[in-house]
Amino acid sequence: MRRLGLRARVTAGFAVGALLLAASMALVSYELTRRSLLDERERTALRAAYFDAAVVRTGLDAEAPDVAEVLRSLDTGGNRRPLLYRDDQWYLRTADDGLTAAVPAELQRLVRGGEPAVQRVRIDGQPALLVGVPVAEAVGYYEVTSLRELEETLQVLALALTAVAIVVAGSGAAVGWYATRHSLRPLTAVADAAEKIAAGSFTARLAPTTDPDLTRLSTSFNHMVDQLARRIERDRRFAADVSHELRSPLQTLSAAASVLANRREHLDERTALAAGLVADEVARFQQLVNDLIELARSDRPADRAPVDVAALAREACRSRSLPDALVRVAPGTATTWSVDRRRVEQILVNLLDNAVRYGGGPVAVRLARQGGTGVVEVDDEGPGVPVAEREAVFDRFVRARAAHARAGGDGSGLGLALVAQHAAAHGGRAEVGDRPGGGARFRVELPEALR
Amino acid sequence: MTGVLVIEDDDRIRLALLLALEDEGYAARGAATAEEGLRAQRQDPADNVLVDLMLPGLDGFECIRQLRRDDDVPIVVISARDDTHDIVAALEAGADDYVVKPVAIKELSARLRALRRRARAAAPAVSVLTFGELEISPEAGEVRRDGQPVPVTRTEFRLLCELAEHAGRVLSRQQLLSRVWGYHTGDERLVDVHVGRLRQKIESDPANPRHLVTLRGLGYKLQR
Repeated sequence: MRRLGLRARVTAGFAVGALLLAASMALVSYELTRRSLLDERERTALRAAYFDAAVVRTGLDAEAPDVAEVLRSLDTGGNRRPLLYRDDQWYLRTADDGLTAAVPAELQRLVRGGEPAVQRVRIDGQPALLVGVPVAEAVGYYEVTSLRELEETLQVLALALTAVAIVVAGSGAAVGWYATRHSLRPLTAVADAAEKIAAGSFTARLAPTTDPDLTRLSTSFNHMVDQLARRIERDRRFAADVSHELRSPLQTLSAAASVLANRREHLDERTALAAGLVADEVARFQQLVNDLIELARSDRPADRAPVDVAALAREACRSRSLPDALVRVAPGTATTWSVDRRRVEQILVNLLDNAVRYGGGPVAVRLARQGGTGVVEVDDEGPGVPVAEREAVFDRFVRARAAHARAGGDGSGLGLALVAQHAAAHGGRAEVGDRPGGGARFRVELPEALR
Repeated sequence: MTGVLVIEDDDRIRLALLLALEDEGYAARGAATAEEGLRAQRQDPADNVLVDLMLPGLDGFECIRQLRRDDDVPIVVISARDDTHDIVAALEAGADDYVVKPVAIKELSARLRALRRRARAAAPAVSVLTFGELEISPEAGEVRRDGQPVPVTRTEFRLLCELAEHAGRVLSRQQLLSRVWGYHTGDERLVDVHVGRLRQKIESDPANPRHLVTLRGLGYKLQR
């Protein structure tokens, strides 16, 4: 079972607490009310019984008293029923419906001993109060007072108190829910900020708080983000600085290598071979440094302006000595896109280079639109990219297996990583899939390129 | 033989560039400081000047400014720095083009050739083009404002002629890059900075240009 969330637990705690509190309050008040009502009723019953007993005593003092008539003369209302025990015989106003049997022996003993007594009994399942008052020697007057009304009142009270307890528990839960929402709000802010940072926005910070309990959280969180951003910036700058520092010696190497290359035919075979290697590797080194510098700064946002992407794509083909007829624009697609010219140019050139190097040459460069998103696709006829490697090919320094490569490892290993970064700078992405009919299809989406 | 002056403080880079440029058929000379370079250019002007930005003493920006004061020689910046700030500052100081190290010598050579080509701009059919108080004489290579000659560099002049030939029509930055600098694709800041410099010279109020106007997102246009 899933563990309950913090908020659910706090809410449940509040509810249980409120319920316990309300229930005990209800129990106490019920009990107090019940007792005081019963006491009150007992006193009233006792008073009435004394009065009635006095009437009975007077009636019995007459010559040859008619006991039934005496009992009938009592003004007992509907609530009280008189009983008389005289000369080992019970006298009632009505027929004995088991009322006499309900009089406990203990009570009778007390009354016979000359003591008035009160006891609660149940008669036919109904609560009642039995009062016994000694009238004379061997004569006891008893009165049964029904407690049904009181019982009903107490039931209503119990019902009301239960309802109140439930409502209080519900309110407790509501207060807990609200209070946790309020007190968890800083955590929500932390989560939001963390998500933004994970998405690459290192400017996200927690708003400074005046709450002394939260100051530490927000300051340490912001401090952590600052440190993280600084470290990433330091790494980025290091890569950029190294690349920049490499530029000057590379300029010497590049110029010197071109002098060697120009004189290749005057050199002996071995020296010419070595000179060729130096010139080729310097060119690759140069590409690597340029790509590294580009990568170091490509996390900046895209600098969008209207660009004729079809012309750019044709130009990219020509720059790689490929026919510009490769470029196909899907019907209904405007070719002027709002994109970063430099980045899109690199996307095109790098995808073409990749197709030449690993895919047996590009067979089509397609430009299309999907809503406002500009889509660039470059198809090749190579072996394709295995599903397992489709994400990895966009990582830095990952090259296709040498077996696939026509000219093994002459790229910088950064071309596709740059494609992915340039796409990301536009808020889009780069991916590779299968081309129908064999080969790979590289696809770059550039959101908001078209209005 | 075309002469190139290389102003570069790093001895090894300077030597390698000189060797490679000579291989490409240039008469190349070197200077280790801006002062030395300026002196050399005054005594025996080269057809092109390559300038590094990080120079001891007088820096590259000031060197370009002083070169430009005397001469309209095509100046190409060659720098390891590629900050937008540096590039724009160098172009505003008067450079015609810039390349970032390391540049392949073939590429550098192609750029120098393109600069020379436009320095000898092909003459349009019309001898004088008039835009209000502006008079452009493509053949004579002259620009006059209210009858007074305006000193423009060759690149600025070529840019002005290109816009004048298509008077009243918009030319995009990319079109201007390819027609004036011979780039198929390149840095559009090159165009923007040169247009800005040209405005300083030909407009009475460069902040509110009357003739050389910008069309946002499209490009530039020269109008009467």
